[in-house]
Amino acid sequence: MSASSKKGGSRSVHFFGIRHHGVGSARSLRRALEQLQPDAVLIEGPPDADKLIALASHADMRPPVALLIYNPTQPREAAWYPFAVYSPEWQAIQYALGNKIPVTFMDLPQKHQLPLLYAPPAEAEAPPEDTDADADAGEDAGENALLEAEPADMPPPVDSAALLRLDPLQALAQAAGYSDSERWWEHMIEERQSGETIFEAIQEAMTALRDATGAHPDPGYAHREALREAWMRKTIRATEKKATRLAVICGAWHVPALLDRTNVAADDALLKGLPSVATTATWTPWTYSRLSRDSGYGAGITSPGWYQHLWDTAPDQITMRWMSRVAGLLRGQDFSASTAQVIDGVRLAEALAALRGRPLPGLDEMNEAALAVFCRGDSAPLNLIRRDLIIGDALGEVPPDAPTVPLQRDLELQQKALRLKPALDEKIHDFDLRKPNDLARSRLLHRLRLLQIEWGVRQQNQVQATGTFHEFWKLAWKPEFAIAVIEASMWGNTIQDAAAARVRDQAETSDSLLPITALLEDVLLADLPEAAEIVLNRLESVAALTSDVAVLMDSLPALVDVLRYGNVRKTDTALVAQVVDGLVMRVCVGLAPACASLDDDAAALMYNRLNQTHSAITLLQNADYTAHWQGALAEVADLRAGHGLVVGRAVRLLRDAGILSPEEVARRLRLALSRAVEPAQAAAWVEGFLKGSGAVLLYDDTLFTTLDSWLALLPGDTFDLLLPLLRRTFSTFASPERRQIGERARHGVRQRSDQLLLDEARTAKVLPMLERLLGI
Amino acid sequence: MSNQPNTVQRRHAEEEYAEELYELAKADTRQRPPNWALSPWAVATYLLGGTLDNGYTITAKYIGDRRLIEIAIATLATDRALLLLGVPGTAKSWVSEHLTAAICGDSTLLVQGTAGTSEEAMRYGWNYARLLAEGPSENALVASPLMRAMAEGKICRVEELTRIPADVQDTLITVLSEKTLPIPELNSEVQSVKGFNVIATANDRDRGVNDMSSALTRRFNTVVLPTPATLDEEVEIVRQRVGSLGRMLELPAETPALEEMRRVVTIFRELRHGLTLDGQTRLKSPSSTLSTAEAISVVTQGLSLAAHFGSGTLTARDVAGSVVGAVVKDPTQDRTIWLEYLETVARTRPDWTDLYEACREVTR
Repeated sequence: MSASSKKGGSRSVHFFGIRHHGVGSARSLRRALEQLQPDAVLIEGPPDADKLIALASHADMRPPVALLIYNPTQPREAAWYPFAVYSPEWQAIQYALGNKIPVTFMDLPQKHQLPLLYAPPAEAEAPPEDTDADADAGEDAGENALLEAEPADMPPPVDSAALLRLDPLQALAQAAGYSDSERWWEHMIEERQSGETIFEAIQEAMTALRDATGAHPDPGYAHREALREAWMRKTIRATEKKATRLAVICGAWHVPALLDRTNVAADDALLKGLPSVATTATWTPWTYSRLSRDSGYGAGITSPGWYQHLWDTAPDQITMRWMSRVAGLLRGQDFSASTAQVIDGVRLAEALAALRGRPLPGLDEMNEAALAVFCRGDSAPLNLIRRDLIIGDALGEVPPDAPTVPLQRDLELQQKALRLKPALDEKIHDFDLRKPNDLARSRLLHRLRLLQIEWGVRQQNQVQATGTFHEFWKLAWKPEFAIAVIEASMWGNTIQDAAAARVRDQAETSDSLLPITALLEDVLLADLPEAAEIVLNRLESVAALTSDVAVLMDSLPALVDVLRYGNVRKTDTALVAQVVDGLVMRVCVGLAPACASLDDDAAALMYNRLNQTHSAITLLQNADYTAHWQGALAEVADLRAGHGLVVGRAVRLLRDAGILSPEEVARRLRLALSRAVEPAQAAAWVEGFLKGSGAVLLYDDTLFTTLDSWLALLPGDTFDLLLPLLRRTFSTFASPERRQIGERARHGVRQRSDQLLLDEARTAKVLPMLERLLGI
Repeated sequence: MSNQPNTVQRRHAEEEYAEELYELAKADTRQRPPNWALSPWAVATYLLGGTLDNGYTITAKYIGDRRLIEIAIATLATDRALLLLGVPGTAKSWVSEHLTAAICGDSTLLVQGTAGTSEEAMRYGWNYARLLAEGPSENALVASPLMRAMAEGKICRVEELTRIPADVQDTLITVLSEKTLPIPELNSEVQSVKGFNVIATANDRDRGVNDMSSALTRRFNTVVLPTPATLDEEVEIVRQRVGSLGRMLELPAETPALEEMRRVVTIFRELRHGLTLDGQTRLKSPSSTLSTAEAISVVTQGLSLAAHFGSGTLTARDVAGSVVGAVVKDPTQDRTIWLEYLETVARTRPDWTDLYEACREVTR
């Protein structure tokens, strides 16, 4: 039945080697415990949280939840132990609490582990973020593996002993002909429906494996593991004296090391003089998507929703219920998914499993069957299945009397350090960003905003003169923020980490350009350089896929502002420059096609975008960009069927930049106003060309004459039609300009040259002063 | 009618690989579905290659994802029709021919789909001379490959299913669900024998040609055959094919530099997948398919340009024209995408300057 080591008389210790979050393990464990009827239970977990175990049976406790152990003075130093309902540890706790059996944790306490992990030299250790990233990469690879060949991903056989130690199960899996250890474990152990002798088999396999593998290549890790196993042996020794039937639940890998507990002296020597810090423990709500990424055991799982299904469903209905759920999900998204297809899907999955010699279809077979039967080979719906079913969106709950979360503590620490007390009544604060303390306060408020804790509301600068060094905030603390903090705590243990993690999540789930640009501005204000990098990368890839040039143009000015002015916060702008580079190129390439067929409303919008983009690019003062932009404008100016407003504007911008000669501009105006062109389009051209400033008409006779004669030759009714349009154009000029143009129109062009009689002597008097003013 | 085997241009799969099929059948002890010549496991080995217990080596007919072939075989084993989808040049017909050869030893029951495929070609027609002389009878009936497959319990292949007019396609709906083909003229029917199935192939870029009705779609399990998985695999395919084509056309130019070919394949792969090879930059994909077959023709064309008008060695200038021609199928959209690719990707690669400039020159 269970792996046991007897020790004198009737006292016995029973070992249950499990896989964290393994459904099959949980099921076999529960059965085995009920059969054994132990009178004490030890679980591989942090003894720091022993007092909290009892809360697990609280009526308001709903997994997925996590035990969080952290250093209250440095909330960043933390470890968390997530539990799903199908975690064997969770089932063991529930069994023990339900039967009123003493249950305690036996792992090396985090008060010793945390200083080992975070004490200098800390660089040697992998920070939690790294495991995060690794898990993500693994997840992506998993997605691709479904559709692409795997052999390319196989690691080269470098040092087989070291490799074996890094992933010992891999060796067993490969021996059994599986490409990855997770799948192998799943098929051999988790998906096995009857498993009476399973724990003995696991113990034997692990013993053989441990004999075959060398030391872990990371000495720090190897040392920690030795300490952990010594501590577990010590705890078992202490507990077995008091119990007749002791059940020990731990990761399968550890079982062989815990069997022989005779060398007390060696363990004591190893555990002597361990560093120690104070720790606080609490329960926090968890989610399946977090469970799929990382966990305190370092054994994240990729498919929590699928495991939940395995746990909830009767063994003989797993395949059909899963296929029905897939069909239900797809139907809800307007894909066709009939009952007949569910039947076909089940049959295909079972045939695939049979072909591969597996007792039951696994997730691979389910996905492949769904792909062939429901999705017509299109993998897009599969992503939906992955998000909603395989990972799932379960969110846990913890009872309100669980202790405070570290995020709350971090917030309190920062409020104290920055002398920014939460007060219920509204008060306006003026932060001078040149002062470090005020800058830090502003940073904190911006980060809280990213976590949706709207303690401060940013106010418009009240006095323009104070410039960009000042920020005004209206602060008012509301009691419900306490809940918002708990909700935000799933993102991280410090305000900075949590804000960064949430930004990352938002950036990754958003796929349109403008929200990401807005997010980038917020992130830069909140001074989260790592998050900014992620947002920028995301921005870059989204920009590459955006075929709507208008959206690209809209997001450019904000980025250019960041790049050109940096900001008071001394952000690193090299990354922004890279993104801007891509944006400018894409805008320039796509501009002319985007301007090709516009109606009046779209043309008006594009007109504004042309102006904005033009000033943004001018601001950048990069010769390469300017050249490309002018090239793109020239293409717009040459569009034969382009809307007059846009084409006229392009000509004007090119004229102002000195690219088009006055003669060329005049020629284009004549073309635009020629009789073949519809008068409304011609008027639009004029509007685009002249809007904002009419001075050009005063200095260029040809332009004036062309426009004048066009107007004069317009038929009466057309003139009436165009009058409002022209009036709108001219009303944008400054009033002296309008007056002068009016005078020229009244007198005709020749009069002006008559009037231009200069008094040489009087003019000469002004010149020296002008020279001084202009610094010539 | 029948040719001597050694004079035909191309032999059927079951003839070409008769020895392998024989050896497999000999070694195959696993359970076979009714009327199958081999077990599903042996069919998989036949397609993917492997070594038998007696040391006999089976060559790989399909190089790519093992799982796809397994899905295809499992589909046929569960009596469902199989639809192989993919862009041109992804070995759809090849896989379908070999599957058929391995499962029923006869890959000749074939309907070649075109816009002119008639209902007679799918169901049955009449020998009119006999019909007039004898009236409707079994002898006057001309069975279609589909009908013969039903009667003999074999697999019928339908090539280019989506090119067949929609009303003719629909013939398959009841055949696949009822497994029977009525012949009202004779007041009889053909009931399919166990082992009957259909493998259809269709080009998924052309879905719009004669889109399959959802009723028909539902009767097929779909397997999408992808383009080659890695750059090296694809370069190798291009290299082999260009080599043999060059010999056939008797091109005097040297075998092309591997480097130039790599760049062409790189461009095709990057645009096809919408992602640079280093995975750093996202790209838009043009409307063109950019299949391996097109890469082959670009290189061959460049080779002939180099031979007749150039230096005799393949350079960037020789391939630029046909690369642009292959990528830019839609003059506005594709051109934008192509320019974007040139400006954001090609321009930034230091050793691509010649190719970038050559392409810019012909793109104007």
